[in-house]
Amino acid sequence: MESIKDKVAIVGTGCTKFGENWDLSLEDMIIDAVYEAYEDAGIGPEDVQAVWFGSYWSGIPAPSQPLATALKLDYKPVTRLENMCATASDALRQAAYAVAAGVCDIALVIGAEKLKDSGYSGLPTDDIAMGNVSTAINTFRSRNFTAPGHFAMMATSYFNKYGLSPEAGKEMLAKIMVKNHHNGTMSPKAHFQKEITVEQVLKAPIIAWPLGLLDCCGVSDGAAAAILVRGDMARNFRPDPVYIKACQIAVGPQEGYMNPRHDWTMVKETYRAGIAAYAEAGIKDPRREISMAEVHDCFSITEAVIYEDLQFTRRGGAREEIEAGTFELHGELPVNMDGGLKCFGHPIGATGLRMVYELCKQIQGKAGPRQIKNPGLGLAHNLGGTPGGATVSVIIVGP
Amino acid sequence: MSAPEKPAPPVNYWTKPYWNAANEGKLIIQRCLDCQKHIFYPRICCPFCFSDRIEWVPASGKGRVYTYTVVRSNAPSAFIGDMPFVIAIVRLEEGVQMLTNIVGCDPDEVRCEMPVEVTFERLNENFVLPKFKPAGSE
Repeated sequence: MESIKDKVAIVGTGCTKFGENWDLSLEDMIIDAVYEAYEDAGIGPEDVQAVWFGSYWSGIPAPSQPLATALKLDYKPVTRLENMCATASDALRQAAYAVAAGVCDIALVIGAEKLKDSGYSGLPTDDIAMGNVSTAINTFRSRNFTAPGHFAMMATSYFNKYGLSPEAGKEMLAKIMVKNHHNGTMSPKAHFQKEITVEQVLKAPIIAWPLGLLDCCGVSDGAAAAILVRGDMARNFRPDPVYIKACQIAVGPQEGYMNPRHDWTMVKETYRAGIAAYAEAGIKDPRREISMAEVHDCFSITEAVIYEDLQFTRRGGAREEIEAGTFELHGELPVNMDGGLKCFGHPIGATGLRMVYELCKQIQGKAGPRQIKNPGLGLAHNLGGTPGGATVSVIIVGP
Repeated sequence: MSAPEKPAPPVNYWTKPYWNAANEGKLIIQRCLDCQKHIFYPRICCPFCFSDRIEWVPASGKGRVYTYTVVRSNAPSAFIGDMPFVIAIVRLEEGVQMLTNIVGCDPDEVRCEMPVEVTFERLNENFVLPKFKPAGSE
């Protein structure tokens, strides 16, 4: 099996302001993100040969054709895809494979989601509040269960396994959120750009114990885009292209809710996607070879466990690394330099490409006040689903 | 707009014995006659050895909380009135696991590893749901 390493490069990226974009339609956001990417790559719509478009809910049931209309594409192939919260990452993976295969030289990838108008709060279960009944096969899963509830159960079992009191555990998680909000103050495109304190996180209303309001990411609108070209063509577009080193997805076959062997203090899909991506990129020591990461901090506990699953630290090591500041902006391995989902919110189908946008800006030295020193390999971790069964993408890029 | 009702479990031929037993205040699970392993949730064949020789057996109804959360906020739904409520993963003595509610105690009293036992709550005229309460409590 061949590696995709260096066969495909990102030569342009675009990203809208994430937030409550009441005055922008889905098409408006797509046009803004795509034209920023065109400009960044120095190309126009006539240069695009194929398009991959990720969205979870928005514009369905006919998203491909309206996209072609909005972008005035000249009868180009458009594939619309969905892979839960990892949707945009999978769109990038599909486009990268097409370019690597030589079936197109210049591909456009888009992730976009318009959630706020839908009334979606992040809390409804899939059936009751949405007014329809789940067609999921496993009818023995609970029906009164929120997304924060799923991840809260990971926090409870993590505290129990590592002997953390609820107070100590919640404080550990709060520090992750404080870090991400600090980074978010330097992100003009983030939904939330304010500092928060540990005390505010600890005193926030509980959503699903032990997770409070400020342990949870927000619901936002947004779009992001990238232009992919053949690796050997990349320097014709710009002197500083970003090369794809790995893109891997791991989908869990486990039924964590029913399987007594399932360990709720880890997300095995993250661990496995990480291993596969490290192998593809030729990375042996991720802690030392990865210089920065954008990870899926949908909830505070998710980011803590990601540190361990991606082998940035040992099992149970998250707390001491947080205390040491390892993952802060100017720490040893900065994580969520742009503020992450915590500050950008989570327009489901756009998030993965927003992460890649940040990695490219860092590598190209264009991250402004949040610029890290000597950026090398960057990792984007995008998680769909829940700890009981997830779809996880790990993308690695570098100069 | 009328208030939403809590959803009733879908019933099919391989889950019917489970719900019939629950209606009589009994918790039953499946066991494979070939590999002897206990099985939950109900299946048409053994998920371990694919044998279709499976039987229903009584469960002790005793287990321990593996992990849990206390839901204190939710979107409008039939469950709003129940808040705060506990969702937990309970590992039964027989080695199977259930996603369930812990009832019969203050939600703040629930802990990982806490011993619990089955209790039954009526959902509507057709269904009784097995749930769990602290072991030895009323």
